[in-house]
Amino acid sequence: MIAHRNLGLVAAAATLLAAAPLSAIFERWTWLIQAVIAVAAVAAAAALARLGRTPVWAQVLAMLGGLTLALTWLFPSGDELLAVLPTPATFGNFADLLTGSAEDMRTLSVKVPDTDSLLFVTVLGVGGVAVLVDVLCVGLRRPALAGLPMLAIYSVPVAVYVDSVPPLPFAIGAAGFLWLLVTDNVDRVRRFGRRFTGDGRDVDVWEASPLAAAGRRLAVVGLALAVLVPLAVPGMTAGLMTSLNPGVGAGLGGSGLGGAPGRVDLFAALSGRLNQSQVTDLVKVTTTEEEPFYLRFGVADDLRGDGFRVRGPNGQRVTGALPDPGPSRPGIERTRHQATIEVSRDLDMRLLPVYAEPVDFADLGNSWFYDPNLQVVFSNRENSRGRTYSFDYVRSTYTPQALRTAQPLPADLPLRRQQTVTPDVPQVRELVAELTEGKRTEYDKVRALYEYFSEDNGFTYQLNTEEGTSGEQILDFLENKAGFCQQYAAALAWMVRDAGIPARVAFGFTNGNRRTGDTFTLTNRNLHAWTEVYFDQMGWVPFDATPSYGVPGSTRSAWAPDTDAPEESTPQTDTADTPDETDTANGPDDRGSNQVEEGNDPAAVANDGTPTQSAPIWPWLTAAGVLALLALLAVPALRRLALRRRRGQPAPAVRTVGAPEADAAGTGQPVVVVGADPDRARADAHSAWDELIDTLVDYRVRVDQTETPRATADRLATEPLHADTDAATAARLLGRAEERARYARDPLTGEPLPAALSTVRAALAGQANRRTRLMATVLPPSVLHRWRATVADTSARLVASGGRLRYRLLRFSPRRLIAHRAGR
Amino acid sequence: MTQQTWDEVGGLLPHDEFRAASDAIVANIEQVIEGKTATVRLALAVLLAEGHLLIEDVPGVGKTKLAKALARSIDCSVRRIQFTPDLLPSDVTGVSVYNQETHDFEFRPGAVFANLVVGDEINRASPKTQSALLECMEERQVTVDGVTYQLQTPFMVIATQNPIEMEGTYPLPEAQRDRFTARIAMGYPDPTAELAMLDGHGAVDPLPALRPVSDAETVRRLIGHVRQVHVADAVKQYAIDLVTATRESPDLRLGASPRCTLQMLRTARAVAALDGRDYVLPDDLQVLAVPVLAHRLIPTADAQLARRTTDAIIADLVHRLPLPHDRQRAPYDSRPPATGNGRAPFEPRRP
Repeated sequence: MIAHRNLGLVAAAATLLAAAPLSAIFERWTWLIQAVIAVAAVAAAAALARLGRTPVWAQVLAMLGGLTLALTWLFPSGDELLAVLPTPATFGNFADLLTGSAEDMRTLSVKVPDTDSLLFVTVLGVGGVAVLVDVLCVGLRRPALAGLPMLAIYSVPVAVYVDSVPPLPFAIGAAGFLWLLVTDNVDRVRRFGRRFTGDGRDVDVWEASPLAAAGRRLAVVGLALAVLVPLAVPGMTAGLMTSLNPGVGAGLGGSGLGGAPGRVDLFAALSGRLNQSQVTDLVKVTTTEEEPFYLRFGVADDLRGDGFRVRGPNGQRVTGALPDPGPSRPGIERTRHQATIEVSRDLDMRLLPVYAEPVDFADLGNSWFYDPNLQVVFSNRENSRGRTYSFDYVRSTYTPQALRTAQPLPADLPLRRQQTVTPDVPQVRELVAELTEGKRTEYDKVRALYEYFSEDNGFTYQLNTEEGTSGEQILDFLENKAGFCQQYAAALAWMVRDAGIPARVAFGFTNGNRRTGDTFTLTNRNLHAWTEVYFDQMGWVPFDATPSYGVPGSTRSAWAPDTDAPEESTPQTDTADTPDETDTANGPDDRGSNQVEEGNDPAAVANDGTPTQSAPIWPWLTAAGVLALLALLAVPALRRLALRRRRGQPAPAVRTVGAPEADAAGTGQPVVVVGADPDRARADAHSAWDELIDTLVDYRVRVDQTETPRATADRLATEPLHADTDAATAARLLGRAEERARYARDPLTGEPLPAALSTVRAALAGQANRRTRLMATVLPPSVLHRWRATVADTSARLVASGGRLRYRLLRFSPRRLIAHRAGR
Repeated sequence: MTQQTWDEVGGLLPHDEFRAASDAIVANIEQVIEGKTATVRLALAVLLAEGHLLIEDVPGVGKTKLAKALARSIDCSVRRIQFTPDLLPSDVTGVSVYNQETHDFEFRPGAVFANLVVGDEINRASPKTQSALLECMEERQVTVDGVTYQLQTPFMVIATQNPIEMEGTYPLPEAQRDRFTARIAMGYPDPTAELAMLDGHGAVDPLPALRPVSDAETVRRLIGHVRQVHVADAVKQYAIDLVTATRESPDLRLGASPRCTLQMLRTARAVAALDGRDYVLPDDLQVLAVPVLAHRLIPTADAQLARRTTDAIIADLVHRLPLPHDRQRAPYDSRPPATGNGRAPFEPRRP
């Protein structure tokens, strides 16, 4: 009992340790305090339940109860009794929190702030894992299995975090798991008593046994496999090995952008930097603008057969007057801001990150130029490393109405000719034609294409995809629908160009997630690419098609709202408040739902409340599941019925045997001798006996393999059936028939075996209790036993043949060969 | 005396005739031995199985009486040997003596030249004398001075002995124990049977008044009938499983011999015939396991120290051994391997 309590505490502590990786996705440590409270409640409930020596299922119920109380206390709705007892309103609150968490998971990116809904999901998940771990470790004594739920916690940051999770939290979680295993094993060894080592001496509990060498060898082999297999499998390259290998992840800081500003593959540099496991600060921005758009430094607008390429910029010195976009107009709001940028020593390139449309630079020397067309600042001599500069810029925002007024550009405009060139890929062209069909204005066409990259169409964010923006790769992306900003930006630009509208790909930084006051600190994780579309009289207007959950600091605008947001909510405002009409009944059902699940779980869709949506399918699925379960449960009973019917079939008892003989009276009439067919009678007796044995098994009457049929029949007649003379006689008849069929020259014929069988069966059923009768009908033990025996036999045969094979292979073992040679 | 070969023993006997003859013998013996029907029938079964019977029990429970009653119920030649420590082999087998008149050696047959030989207190004779019985019991012949003399059919040795713990007894050699088909114990009669005994035998011994109800010819025909009893393959397999189990049992130093398997099946035939069946059941083998097997086996020292008798070991084996799955052997089916129970070939343990 003491050991159990101890193990329960260790299980709780190990769960908390395993939750350490969650620190990678939260900004603060509030979740840890709340998770500690929940896990403590679970552990306390389990300990109390165990004090009462309750069965395992009752312990589970107690732990779930404890978890519910803790959740109620931590996330109250205000209606609780004594602050901890849940009311229906509490569960309504839980359901709201769950819905809100789905929303948060979609909109927020790591590291997330402490929103109530996310904390709720976290605490619920950790508490659920604590329940599972406790049941597996203490209830079922299978601590190794407890690693699975622990791993589930670890998988959350792995799935949410786009880069690899820092190793320290994983080490902490793994240490917790090992602690659990060690505690359980020590407990086992203590219970066993002395440890036998093969050395002829006792060893301490903590000392490694010499017999454990096999375990150590297995561990080494497993570790080697775990390291080597990812190296061998293609596609699993982002990870430890990649970051150890300096040649692959060089990215922007190395040779990537160090050359002339023209001849650079910004795409390659981008993905290299995004995939880098190390996070380095690149830029620090201070701006007077409240919600700035992305910082940009490069543009790729030269689309060739192998994808988007950067052209060499040309322009005027930044010290001169820069073109002014002009004042605000109806539908276009232009505001002037000032920004100061500090470039760290890690960002080394001949382009400077600036906001779009800078109008006045300070602190920059003569060697920097501004390309008004590409809107980039570049230099042919100097680079950006360690440079600090400030500038004024104009931020333009557009209303969709204003953009709709933009007319198609004349076809002979050089800009249009140049910026709508695409390689000929018919599939993309067809897709574009299909999507833009019926759209009249330029803006509507772009919006249609932009909205195509939504989650509803199956697009997801994934960093580990094939790089490149050539036609083939764009097609692959449109097919697989998984990629990161490079593919989204390039694909949208390509498709907009195919629609006859100029478009290009811009590179820069998002706003990141580290903001202090007006200052943003941007890292290599915040590197980004997006699409810019040219509208007549408006200029280049940005569209960011990448899913916002994959991009920390993603910003959307009124003319390009988040495609994945629900219809009724406006962008940027729908963080936590969810519609109140959410059905509360579905809340508690969702507690097992996966935390990583993104946005579109069926419950959330069903809760939308819009009448146009089709009827929910989950009742049908549930009904189908229940039916399938019932059908599965009915299989043994049906099998038993089929067996009984087959055995109970009345056999043709007589058959003509022998040859026609001449009549003794000499009339010449052939006489057919009619006799019983012994084989048939034998088979009948055997099947009747088999059926009797199965019936005995079903009704839990002892069956002894060492008993002869006669002895079995006698035992039946004297023990269970002694009150029923008919049944006793019938049992003896069956025994006699079987023994004659087995051992005599000729079997018993002409006896009413099926009738005797049903008599015995009825008598046995009459004596059995209700539970036995029910089991005999629903889940006949005879069928189950036979299946179990078959499975056991098969596995034993497999093991035996495996052993034989191993023995045969042992002949070629090098150790053996060497031993032979040495012996020679 | 005309000598009959084994093939000449009687033809087929009608079923009811067999039953009448056997029942008559049993009833006749029961006039003397009360309340021991199973033992008496087993003794008769041994006779019909052409075996030899060893009756072992404490003094005074009627061993000799059973032997004599069985002998007297059948009208055939009966000889009795009282085994004493100074008995010589030639007293058993016979001796050649010099005839003064013919100036030649002349063979004088010993006590074994009879249909039924009652050997009383057989384990009081020295092993040297007991060895004289070895040849005649197995081969039904006696060789003296290089001349072999055949014995008659039926030939049965009914020996009685006290348990080995009694004073003044020699243990029987293993070879001779293996020649006895069955060893039966008389056991004390139950109170009612003992009361009936007091009533019946109180004044006069009924044994001298016992009349024979059968003769050697009838017994030969009964034996012939027993030989026709059907033994199914499953039953043979079960017999083999049983003896194999004794050879592989960790409690036994010496297992059962192939001769034992033969004799067990023969006795089972006789038991089945006496039961009115023309086929042998595994039940018959189970009933016979202890009487037929127990006296041939030697328990290991461990089992002896644990006071496990061979009877208990055999009963345990029978209780644990599953019945073989009955399979109908196809006409062209090859014979199954020697040990059909799926285990590795048996490696005999050296005692």
